[in-house]
Amino acid sequence: MSKELLKICNFSKTFGDLAVLKDISFSVKEGEVVSIIGPSGSGKTTLLRCAALLESVEKGDLSYGDLQVCVQGVYAGKNVLKDAKNRFGFVFQNFHLFPHYNVMENVTKAPLLVQKRDKKEVEEMARQLLKKMGLSGKENSYPCELSGGQQQRVAIARALAMKPGILFFDEPTSALDPELTQEILKVIRDLAEEKMTMVIVTHEINFARNVSDRIIFMADGYIVEEGEASSLVDHPQNERTKEFLAFISQKG
Amino acid sequence: MDYASMFSELLKGLLVSVEIFFLTLLFALPLGLLIAFGRMSKNCIVANIFRVYISIMRGTPLMLQLLVCFFGPYYLFKIPLASSYRFAAVIIAFSLNYAAYCAEIYRSGIQGIPAGQYEAAGVLGFTPVQTFFRIIFPQVVKRVIPPVTNEVITLVKDTSLAFSLSVMEMFTMAKQIASAHTTMIPFVAAGVFYYVFNFLVAFGMERLEKRLDYYR
Repeated sequence: MSKELLKICNFSKTFGDLAVLKDISFSVKEGEVVSIIGPSGSGKTTLLRCAALLESVEKGDLSYGDLQVCVQGVYAGKNVLKDAKNRFGFVFQNFHLFPHYNVMENVTKAPLLVQKRDKKEVEEMARQLLKKMGLSGKENSYPCELSGGQQQRVAIARALAMKPGILFFDEPTSALDPELTQEILKVIRDLAEEKMTMVIVTHEINFARNVSDRIIFMADGYIVEEGEASSLVDHPQNERTKEFLAFISQKG
Repeated sequence: MDYASMFSELLKGLLVSVEIFFLTLLFALPLGLLIAFGRMSKNCIVANIFRVYISIMRGTPLMLQLLVCFFGPYYLFKIPLASSYRFAAVIIAFSLNYAAYCAEIYRSGIQGIPAGQYEAAGVLGFTPVQTFFRIIFPQVVKRVIPPVTNEVITLVKDTSLAFSLSVMEMFTMAKQIASAHTTMIPFVAAGVFYYVFNFLVAFGMERLEKRLDYYR
């Protein structure tokens, strides 16, 4: 049995009076691809951001493998959090590349400054990652000179350069037009084939169905339904899930 | 008085003006950053202290601040006035005043950086110090060059206020020569010097701006 890389238990979070996460529990095993779908405002992005320590929860446990990051809403010390950040990578909806660094620097700065790795090794790895992302020859370009799809691929390379155990994607294609969306989905599909562990918040239901092992459907801060990807999409059990999928397919 | 000796007197004054200019920049630019941090502090007592500081510095005349800096130690603490303190008082008053303006410029620059930059640096494991100096500050510099240029140009002209403490900078010199020889020429010459000085400043800042033009 493969080991659990991420475990979330009973996450609860509120923004003022609004409860955005209500008693959420799920875990991710090594090599697994999990997609989180659901209507806007269902809490899926917040869940991912809480897992990535970009926001904190009020109740619940969070652990990365053997690393206990949060127990009943109480977070561990600085060093543990720093360790935890080495275990996941995060790809944002709006890329958030560093505009004053060129592509190469965007990818290599964190491994060099944070992980203190060897410069030659990091640059060699960065070149290979960029090649894999179809960005060879763009090493010295600046983010403003790239298309949205290229920028997002740099962002993925930047996340992978840290050698994370898990990669989080927060609606990675929502800022892109359909053509560029396919570009990014292909990259994620390739990563899935290499057994990269990933958690993807997405609106691309068909993509989620094809690429994921498991899909989690969220609504109103709850996990409404969770299951094997194709069976959840093709034969949803819950009324709320059926409604959402019907609405999406109508729109599509 | 012949023109040659008039110009040599004015040039001597210009050197003092230039000295005030560079020393003020040297102290005010970094001090402004510290004040900006204070003003943005999450501790509301600290933030309010700096808010009041900026408010006073911007709300009262620089000439008044010069006089307070020079005469304050005597009237408040009975410390005897030393003539050698004159120049230091000018630098202190200018630095404190200009730092307040710079602080607000930096603050607007820092607060204008999208939150996503902090988040991206955060998930990559950058420490807050690394995040500020590697990611945020370089972008702030680019954003604040136009408003800082404004301040620097104003500073060139404001150095003439040191005349209120009888520091022998160019304007003080011009005024002395003008009244001693009943002539307008030193004022015209001083005006040309200030203009050329500012022309060079604007040119330099524009070059700097161009050099940072490689990204948006």
